[in-house]
Amino acid sequence: MKKILTIASGFLLFTLALVWWLDSRQVHPVALIPTLTGQPEYCLTCHADLPEISPSHPVKTFGCVICHGGERLALDADLAHSSMRGEANPSDLSVVEASCGGSACHSGSAADERDHIQRVLTSVQSTYAGAIASIRYTFGAQPDLKAYFGIAAITDEQTQTGITSLAAFDPTSANNPSIQKFGENCLTCHLHTRPREGLAYERQTGCAACHATAEHTFSTAIPYTQCNACHNRGNYDLQTMTFVERSDQSIKRIDNYYQPIAQFTQCEYTLDCVDCHTRIEVMGDGDIHANQKSIEYVQCKTCHGTPTELPLTKTLTDPNDIAFRLALLNPVVDLKLGETILVTEKGEPLWNTRVLPGGSYELIGKATQQYFIFRPVMGSGCTQNGQDQSSAYCHECHAVER
Amino acid sequence: MPDVSRRDFLKIVRNGFLYLSSLLAFDGLLHFLDFEANPEPKTEFDLGPADNYPLGSRTLLTEPPAVLLHTDSGFSALSLVCTHLGCTVEQKSDGFTCPCHGSRFGADGKVTHGPAVKPLTTLRIEISKDNRLILHTA
Repeated sequence: MKKILTIASGFLLFTLALVWWLDSRQVHPVALIPTLTGQPEYCLTCHADLPEISPSHPVKTFGCVICHGGERLALDADLAHSSMRGEANPSDLSVVEASCGGSACHSGSAADERDHIQRVLTSVQSTYAGAIASIRYTFGAQPDLKAYFGIAAITDEQTQTGITSLAAFDPTSANNPSIQKFGENCLTCHLHTRPREGLAYERQTGCAACHATAEHTFSTAIPYTQCNACHNRGNYDLQTMTFVERSDQSIKRIDNYYQPIAQFTQCEYTLDCVDCHTRIEVMGDGDIHANQKSIEYVQCKTCHGTPTELPLTKTLTDPNDIAFRLALLNPVVDLKLGETILVTEKGEPLWNTRVLPGGSYELIGKATQQYFIFRPVMGSGCTQNGQDQSSAYCHECHAVER
Repeated sequence: MPDVSRRDFLKIVRNGFLYLSSLLAFDGLLHFLDFEANPEPKTEFDLGPADNYPLGSRTLLTEPPAVLLHTDSGFSALSLVCTHLGCTVEQKSDGFTCPCHGSRFGADGKVTHGPAVKPLTTLRIEISKDNRLILHTA
C-alpha cells in the first residue's frame, strides 16, 4: 500500500512539474493601462517590439485599442484581432471616424483646423471625382465634365464650390466596357477605395496612404517616395483602360520624380512634394471639388513672387497660430514668435520657411531637414509676365537637363 | 552512514514528493489568485515619509506624473497628465508643455495655450498616521 502511495505521490509531482513547465513556456500577459482610457489591454504581450507610432500618440497614453479596436483582454491572437477596425489599417476611410475621430482628435472644428477627417472625405484624393467625370464624359455617359460621382457617396451642404453631393460611382452598372474596365483597373489608388490585395497595399488607403512612412510610424515628414507610391507608379493606358506599372528602377532622384516625361526646375525634384504642396491642396478644404485643378493652387510665385511682387509673408504674433502646431508635429525648425515666414495666396503658412535679412528666404526640407536659400524673382533679370504662372513658363528658362 | 530501511526510504521519498508537489501547487495557486485580468488603474500612491519633502521643496514625481509642493500652507500636488488627451507634460521655465500636441500650462496649472481647455488637475494629498504622504489621483 505504501509503495502505491509513493508511486502516486511521484506521479502527482511529475504532473504538477509538467504543468509548471508547460505554463512557464506560455507567453505571460503584459498589461498596459493607457492614461486616456484607464482600461487594461494586453496587446503588448505580443506587440511590444513595435515602434511608437508617433510622438503625438505615445502608447503609454493612447494604448492600442482606442485606434485599432480589437478585444483588449484577449490573449488568443484570433480572438484579440477579431474586432479590429480596418484590419491592418484603422485609418481606412471606411472606419476612420471610429479610429481617429472625436472632437478632441481628428474630427474637431473647422475653425480650429482640427477637421482632418471631414476635409479628407470630401477631397479629390478621396472622391477621385475629376477622373470619374472625365472618363464618363469621354465615353458618353454624361453630357459634361461636371462632377456627379465619387468613389463613395458624399454630401456637403455648406460647400463653397456649388457641388453639394456626389453619388457613389458604380462602374458595374455602366453600359460602356471602357468605363467598366476603368472601374476594375483604375480605382484602387484612391483614399476611399478598398486596397488592392496583398501586404504591400494594405496601408495605401485612408490617412496611412500618406502618413504611414514606415512600419507602424505616422509622420508629417512625408518624403516624395511616399507620394510616388501612388503618383509615380506608372501611367494609364487609355486604349486598354489599364494601369501600366513603371518598369524602370531609377537611382537618380530626377528620374524617379513624378512623371518621367515631364520637365522640372531644380526645386521641383530637390524638394519633397510636401515642401510646396499644402494641407489644403492635399487633404482638401472641406468642400467637394470637381477635380484636382480646382483645389491645387500653389505656384512658383507662391515662394518666389513675380518680377513686380514679392511673395506673401506673415510675421508670427499669435502663439496659437497654426504654424506653431505644424512645426511642433515635425520639428525641423524651431519657430519663434516674431519670426516672418512665407504664406500662400490662401493664407496657409509655409511654416518651414523664413525671411532672412537681406531679402532672401530659407526653406528647411520637411522630410530631409536640408536647408535651402532662395531669392525672390523681383530684382532678378527675369522678364516673365507675372500673370503667366503655369509651370511651362518657368520651365522655359529654369528646367534642368535630364 | 546509518542504515535506512526500505520502508523509511520510501517514506522519505514519498514525503519529498508530496512536499515538492505542495510547493508547486501553492505557487500555482498564488499565481492564479494574484492575476487580475481587468485591474482598475492605481489611484493611491504612497510617497514615503513626509519628512523627505522639506518646506519649500518642489518635487517632480514620475509615478504618478505630478509635481509635489510643500509650502507654508502645507502639501499640494498638481497632476502632470495633460487634460487634452493624457500625455505627460514637461516642465519648462514658465510652466508646463505637452510634447504630444503642444498644450501649454502656467506654473499654477492654468492653460495658456490649447488645444487643452482645462487646467492641470490638483491632486489630493493626505498624511497617514505614521507621517507618510499618500497621493490620490481619483
